[in-house]
Amino acid sequence: MMRRSTEVLVIGGGATGCGVLYDLAQRGFKCLLLERGGLSMGTSGRFHGLLHSGGRYVTNDPAAARECIEENMILRQTMPHCIENTGGLFVTTPGDPPDFADLFYRSCQQVGIPVEEIPVAEMLKREPLLNPGISRAFTVPDATVETWAACQSLVHSAAAYGAEALTYHEVVEVLVSQGKVTGVVAKNRVSGEQMTIECDMLVSATGAWGGQIARLAGCDLTIYAGKGTMIAMNYRMVNTVVNRCIPPHDGDILVPIGTVAVIGTTSVRVDDPDDYAIEDWEIKLMLDEGEKLVPTFKKFRPLRAWAGVRPLYQEKAAGADLREVTRAYTLLDHLPRDGVDNFITITGGKWATHRQMAERTVDLVCQKLGTERPCQTAFTELLAPEGRKFYSLGERLRKVEMGEWPGQVICECELVTRPQIEETLARRDENIINDLRRDLRLGMGPCQGGFCTYRAAGIMHEQKKLPARETNKALVDFLQERWKGSLPVLWGQQLRQTILDEGIYLGLLGIDKLPVDLTGLNQPRVAEVETEGYYKVGGGGS
Amino acid sequence: MGRYDAVIIGAGLAGLVTACQLARLGQKVLLLAYGHGALLLASGCIDVLGFQPASSIEPVTDPLSKLADFLEERPDHPYRFTGRDNIEAGLTAFQALVQAQGLPYLGAADRNWLLPSAAGAVHPTCLAPASLANGDLSRGGRMLIVGFPELRDFYPALISQNLNEQALGVRAEPLLVDLPPVPISDDQNVLPVELAYVFERPDFRRQVIQRLKGQTRGYDRVGFPAVLGIKRHAEVMADLESGLGKPVFEISTLPPSVPGRRLLEALRQLLVEADGRMIIGAQVVDGLIEAGRVSQIRFESANRPKVVKAENYILATGGIYGGGILTDADGGIGRVWEPIFGLPVMAETNRHRWFAPRFLEPTGQPFANFGVRVNQQLNPVDENKRPVAENLYLAGGVIAGADWTRGRTGDGVALATAAAIVKQITGRIYADGASAG
Repeated sequence: MMRRSTEVLVIGGGATGCGVLYDLAQRGFKCLLLERGGLSMGTSGRFHGLLHSGGRYVTNDPAAARECIEENMILRQTMPHCIENTGGLFVTTPGDPPDFADLFYRSCQQVGIPVEEIPVAEMLKREPLLNPGISRAFTVPDATVETWAACQSLVHSAAAYGAEALTYHEVVEVLVSQGKVTGVVAKNRVSGEQMTIECDMLVSATGAWGGQIARLAGCDLTIYAGKGTMIAMNYRMVNTVVNRCIPPHDGDILVPIGTVAVIGTTSVRVDDPDDYAIEDWEIKLMLDEGEKLVPTFKKFRPLRAWAGVRPLYQEKAAGADLREVTRAYTLLDHLPRDGVDNFITITGGKWATHRQMAERTVDLVCQKLGTERPCQTAFTELLAPEGRKFYSLGERLRKVEMGEWPGQVICECELVTRPQIEETLARRDENIINDLRRDLRLGMGPCQGGFCTYRAAGIMHEQKKLPARETNKALVDFLQERWKGSLPVLWGQQLRQTILDEGIYLGLLGIDKLPVDLTGLNQPRVAEVETEGYYKVGGGGS
Repeated sequence: MGRYDAVIIGAGLAGLVTACQLARLGQKVLLLAYGHGALLLASGCIDVLGFQPASSIEPVTDPLSKLADFLEERPDHPYRFTGRDNIEAGLTAFQALVQAQGLPYLGAADRNWLLPSAAGAVHPTCLAPASLANGDLSRGGRMLIVGFPELRDFYPALISQNLNEQALGVRAEPLLVDLPPVPISDDQNVLPVELAYVFERPDFRRQVIQRLKGQTRGYDRVGFPAVLGIKRHAEVMADLESGLGKPVFEISTLPPSVPGRRLLEALRQLLVEADGRMIIGAQVVDGLIEAGRVSQIRFESANRPKVVKAENYILATGGIYGGGILTDADGGIGRVWEPIFGLPVMAETNRHRWFAPRFLEPTGQPFANFGVRVNQQLNPVDENKRPVAENLYLAGGVIAGADWTRGRTGDGVALATAAAIVKQITGRIYADGASAG
């Protein structure tokens, strides 16, 4: 078995784990990150892309709200290429409790969230599709964030300090000796090989999976998985993040991302973060709630639905309502708690607070390793990997139209070019079109990969000299991924769109008859179609 | 509007071919369509039965001989109502129509061409224009597959390797050639139809031939993406073959389809030349059924409502894709309906039963069979199999059970139902000038 060693080992390639790796590397630690799938493939890649101002939590969880606003302001400076400054609105729609708006406004002021009430007419001028029956509107500094670009930038920046991240590596064993964690055994999910990694300190940044890792180390830790379901609509119907001005509620946030708008979320406790379903009532509720914000909401096409699992932690057992569990984060030293040394778990929190979570985690690492090294991540701008610098679609479009951005447009919905794809493929070992999606937004627009999947497969085959069978597998896998996510919302015009894709890939290209070897890592996951009102779509990971 | 012998709704293959035949047989026809039909999205070939059973990866070589097996497995398929006779009659009539327009389709009902797809899969198809039929894989030998980096819709290396991988008796090699300078503003993102028009320029072709010269040695034939001209396609083909000194063939690629465009233009021109009338952009609002007969339909064109009456009406609006069948769900119970006449539809209301777990499910997606039930005469029928309207006929994908992607039967259904309807209405079979190719 291969062996290697590092000073600090981080498990989890979401925003928090990548943030911890970057902070550790910047403070001079030798460090390594293990992720069982690709970067930002779990909960960090399964949210609506909202960089909270904190307004959402300001009335019921001011601690979490304060963390959000502090970090929101810092991240705008440290990762500007990942953030679109959409701004945010809180609006009181007809039927909402009218007195909440004043409480909201006062709470924002107390917590320090810049808030301003604007006339409804002004709001409608900015966002003409919003409900004209809205009675009050407040602006807050919400924004949107491109999570895949952010996680890659964190790892890319950490690499500049000598750190490394191994994706598609799953921790199968945590080595504990005389009450101390000494390392882990990890399995390479592509090759199947196992490897022992020794470390002085283990940091678990595995979110809702934190309980599983802790149990591998013999610690009893319960983390609730709070499923949140979201729907991407085919049209960017607002340019501002729009929140309902009510206590946190299902379907109360509408987020513009790229070419689409995402409505979310629900909050349902699930037992297994890898095994959950999207339920009909969730879809119906999201669409109904969407109509309260945008009266023509259902005239647009739902493209796909997905769910993420929030890690929610409370030392005492939570009641039925997960929204009462704090969204603040939790940092656990397992020595005082469980008698296991050299082991830290960081969990809970929000995407927006990942940097602060990393800072506190690495502070604890320093303390436990008896060293004092100040955190710099709040003052240093991240390095952006090549090709990840153009976040907004408008910027891409401007460059394409001005002829400044050479290259064939391969995904016309999201304006992804051939040089971008080639650069991304060159950087990656795995041949997974879904990784191109996460890196470049390939196939995420209204046609859901109808045209670009074939093109991306052709380019991948040419550039990487892949065997045809492998290329066919990548093609089949990506189409299945798109299919799986579209099922819960497939009807009407989007069903027609999907049949066009079916016509192209079966009728025209005949890929259902191609030689393909459907084994190994990238085995297409089958959507379990249930007749009882839900679609089982599996969880994070791969 | 005047009174017509027949009004056809839908400008896909089924609608156009029905309208053309009726017009050529002397009927006064009006074709109304909201859009352009699905020909631009297809390969431009006529698929009658490509795989039986649908899950088989072995292509069918003789569609007629497999028909009985197919109907045993798919008893609700429209072929059950048309039978073998109308499939044959439909193919013959189609060949006669396109022959008359200078776009001959080669083949016969008892044989499939085995053509390479743009992914390198085998595409079994019954009738194909000569340029595509020349790619028949059963001919064996060495083929050079030529692509252009500027055309993002065609990948010769992937095609070649997949063909070779399947040990089909052909040996394919890829070649990427830079296009000569093209008079297209966005020359990095050349569209197949644009390129097809550029190929109609002799000077451009000369340069392409120049660039390929010396690289075709040792190959029995040379394959191109299907971009070799539209109106002057025959001239382009002849020129390339003589310039390269080799047989040349085309491979259909991503939409919009150039061979589909050639076929669409040929059929439209034929309809107009046969004194048929065609209105594209006409949204049919509804049809009135009185005493077991359609008495009129209403449509909107140029933002004006209009009413039209005819002896017979042909609904060729397609399935869900074509817009002949609509679906909705709103996160809850599914709804499936036929929007013009409100005809009884065979479908599931439980939306969870619309789909199979896999996109490529070998037995197909249940929704693909949603459609209107018909009888032997292709009249729509109700739950008790009673005809809803005796002068209303259904052609193509709007008919229940017509899933075309599994088994690859879509064009055959269009042509067979068209032939059956023509026979019902006129008592005749359209066949003049037929060529078996």
